[in-house]
Amino acid sequence: MADHPQLSHSAITPAMSRRTFLQVGGLTTGAVMLGGVLPVAAGQAPAKLQGTRLTYLQWVNFVPAHDAALKKQIAEFEKQTGAKVAFETINMNDIQARTTVAIESKAGPDIIQLAHNWPHLYEAGLEPVDELAEELGRKGEGYYDLPKSHSFVNGRWRAVPHSIVSPASTYRTDWFKEVGYDKFPDTWDAYREAGKKLKAKGHPIGQALGHSLGDPPIFCYAVLWAFGGKEVEDDGKTVALDSKETQEALEFAVGFWKDACDEGGLAWDDANNNRAYLAEQISCTFNGASIWVEAKRNFPHLVKVTDHAYFPAGPHGRYHPHATWENAIMGYSKNKEAAQEFIKYLMEYNNYVEWLKAGQGYSTSPTKVFAKDPMWGELDPQVEPFKDIVKYGRHFGYAGPASRKAAEVWSKYIIVDMFAKAVQGTPPKEAIKWASGELKQVYGA
Amino acid sequence: MRQRPLERILLFHLPLWFFLIVTLFPFFWMFITSIKPNAELYNVRMNPLYVLHPTLDHFRYLMRETIFLTWAYNTLYVSILSTAISLVTGIMAGYALSRLRFRGAGGMAVGIFVTYLVPPTLLFIPLADVVRAFGLLDSPWSLILTYPTFLIPFSTWLLMGYFKTIPRELEECAMIDGATRLQAMIKIVLPLALPGILSAGIFAFTLSWNEFIYALVFLSSTEIKTIPVGVVSELIRGDVFFWGPLMAGALLGSVPVAIIYSFFVEYYVAGLTAGAVKG
Amino acid sequence: MLTSEITLPKEKVYRTAKWRLFLERDSSIGYAMVAPAVLILTLFIAYPFILGIRMSLSHWLVGQEPVFVGLQNFIRNADSTIFTRTVQNTFIYTAAATVLKLVFGMALALVLNNTFRGKGLVRAAFLLPWIIPTVLSTLAWLWMFDATFSVLNWFLRYLGLIQRGISWLGDPVLAMISIIVVNAWRGIPFFAISLLAGLQTISQELYEAAAIDGANAMQRFRYITLPMVKPVLLVVLLFSIIWTFADFQLVYVLTRGGPANSTHLFATLAYQVGVVSGSLGDGAAISLTMFPILVVVVVILLMYLRKE
Repeated sequence: MADHPQLSHSAITPAMSRRTFLQVGGLTTGAVMLGGVLPVAAGQAPAKLQGTRLTYLQWVNFVPAHDAALKKQIAEFEKQTGAKVAFETINMNDIQARTTVAIESKAGPDIIQLAHNWPHLYEAGLEPVDELAEELGRKGEGYYDLPKSHSFVNGRWRAVPHSIVSPASTYRTDWFKEVGYDKFPDTWDAYREAGKKLKAKGHPIGQALGHSLGDPPIFCYAVLWAFGGKEVEDDGKTVALDSKETQEALEFAVGFWKDACDEGGLAWDDANNNRAYLAEQISCTFNGASIWVEAKRNFPHLVKVTDHAYFPAGPHGRYHPHATWENAIMGYSKNKEAAQEFIKYLMEYNNYVEWLKAGQGYSTSPTKVFAKDPMWGELDPQVEPFKDIVKYGRHFGYAGPASRKAAEVWSKYIIVDMFAKAVQGTPPKEAIKWASGELKQVYGA
Repeated sequence: MRQRPLERILLFHLPLWFFLIVTLFPFFWMFITSIKPNAELYNVRMNPLYVLHPTLDHFRYLMRETIFLTWAYNTLYVSILSTAISLVTGIMAGYALSRLRFRGAGGMAVGIFVTYLVPPTLLFIPLADVVRAFGLLDSPWSLILTYPTFLIPFSTWLLMGYFKTIPRELEECAMIDGATRLQAMIKIVLPLALPGILSAGIFAFTLSWNEFIYALVFLSSTEIKTIPVGVVSELIRGDVFFWGPLMAGALLGSVPVAIIYSFFVEYYVAGLTAGAVKG
Repeated sequence: MLTSEITLPKEKVYRTAKWRLFLERDSSIGYAMVAPAVLILTLFIAYPFILGIRMSLSHWLVGQEPVFVGLQNFIRNADSTIFTRTVQNTFIYTAAATVLKLVFGMALALVLNNTFRGKGLVRAAFLLPWIIPTVLSTLAWLWMFDATFSVLNWFLRYLGLIQRGISWLGDPVLAMISIIVVNAWRGIPFFAISLLAGLQTISQELYEAAAIDGANAMQRFRYITLPMVKPVLLVVLLFSIIWTFADFQLVYVLTRGGPANSTHLFATLAYQVGVVSGSLGDGAAISLTMFPILVVVVVILLMYLRKE
């Protein structure tokens, strides 16, 4: 971006060309969106927040470029509005503790970016944001089910969906080819077969099963659902974990682990599989595009032999537990209006696309319109599966609603531990009984 | 006792070296990792015990990407103040309980010791509520006022032991000469108990520097954090390679304590053992 | 000033102001001097303790008001396998680590009880694990145990003792062993230095007399060394057990209670449930359960100590 004599001028020019492009493409929503609700040019923010101080707490994004783009946008926002935004990032696994303390002490960041179904956990401490969320939903041609179910709690929007991080299978095309797979195996059984051959050649599959909130639940819930298992019935109360389907899922996982996986995975957190893949210790792992992004930065020799694919499908379908991120305004905040303006600013079409682009496919949007943006054509073909992978999403706590209790089950690693136990030798029936018992305690209370 | 050379090697040198290596290896590892470039760190084929191209990159990253120095300052500030508070209150309480006769003195001494049975990890949840009620959450004062809870009992106990060894006659002489109790204490007893005070002080300082759970729960903003909390919460960054800066942070976080300790080893050991021996 | 008061006639002394006498009385000064300590301890230990009891008897989720529910939290805990596993873990952890620290601490103390050059330096070096903030040294161990890059695994592979890397923190049994080892590593200096002080109070003549009487090394240890260090030992044990039982930092950094809750201790579970999941009443109940157990342990040890 070269010279910009005046902010308003530069904001209008790319916006106008985009508007033209979209109109040519037959999408009139672009014009509606860019016309916007605020009487300012797209990408701008009202300059009436002079002197306000906002604190924004977010996790440390696995793709540093995302945070870099965000910091730039924050600087822009500060310049335009005269407000000050303190941007803080901490380890994802620590956000919950911070949120609890902040809500209890009624002091802390104004906006906290929560993950998954945490808005259900912290419902009482979050400010309702119905207007803002609905408006952004309209502009975005509607939310996907998953992000909405996470932020829409008991009839009110408690957070504004921000993004989705989707895991996909990140795999070594060369090694898979060696054992006879030109394309990524489409079913769990085929995946296990491939894994067996790969492990025999010293390139096992890598999967985390430890106490970390990112990767371990992804694997466990994906397998559980692919084989038809579920936590509760759709009344949201009856625990339905103890079933033939869950048993099959566990038995598969045990076999899969022994045949195909690097058994150190039981101790892995969210970072180990990235490192293991980049150190060429494993041939495949479920992960967001962060491995790809890091490879492009520091491990170029791996770039041409890495590709992504959807998760394998099981007898009951193909499911991806996506991670959703949503911005919540805290109930105790004294700057709620400024917070709303800030969130709106970040979600402005241009700003948001900039941010998405920085991730190179790592993040996708909670609303449907962004999937059509030409940026996807500009990214590497290897990240194409991420474009619409959201369609395979399903929420924790299925088949009940994405509720506080589902959030609690996930925070307590009950499903993860059920798989971990089985993999380490506990007979599946026992593991299921244990997990069911723990689930009943959560749902019964 | 005279030992034959073989006996000496088996019973002394071998075990000594064994213990030394096991004790110090993690610190060696901390140091090596902090100066090893990423390419070597994450190369599984290389021998990890030496470094081919040592680098200061990780330290630079640490300073650039985090406010480590602010955390160091915070930790120092909190440790010094809580040590000061514990010493003053400990000296006063220790003196009173070991020198003065008044009703309830024995009970109070036991009471102070009993608080040791209520470790921080038992209390941290309700204590967070109390700290909140005082409006001290996310302030260094939440730590400065709560650290003494585990520093005072030990300091009091230690100092009581030291005070008891100072003959009463010294104070009584001074008071006959017209000094007030307070003057007698300050001018006569304290100087004699200085070794004990230094021991208690250095012990309290290292304990404060080491504290984690209260700091983890009471502090939120990044500018207020102490080193243990800062390093653990902000340098462990998900997928990104961080072991170099993390170990650099661990090393730098340990250095101040190690330095201060090295000047006062004798006092530290005396404090440690006084607690045990005089027990 | 002082001498002039001494030369005053006797009568004057008897008329010293009553308030002066009051201030000079032992009890006034006594109470005044313990007051600050008592104040801090009451405010920040006694009061929160009572509050904690109340919290543990309530259903209290973050952001909501507490609701009194009696012993429900404790009853639920008794049923929860995660909780019973945690109790088991804490006992095993404390017992095993304490035994290790006792045995190796004593061994190290005996070794250090010789005279040799550089003794001061060596003694100082040995205290480092105890001095350096636990969180920081534990991070070094975490890196040493890393699933992919563990230097310990590299070493074992180099020696040809293993083929595939050992999953130090990924296997439940190994994870427990790992945390016990790290705790022992940190705590042995405390035992060693304290026991060393105890050893140094034993006069050499006792040993020499016993040797002349025909006692061998083992007998000298059993009948002279042990009884004489017992008081020191018991005090050290007392503190060590309390601290190990209530440990948090080590497990938090290494495993956060995993894999599959196999390394959760009271403190880490309370943190996980209370602060991370926001179930404050539950968390308080878990923490508080430590107290009766600690009291029993301390009473037993103190009674034993009293007997000496």
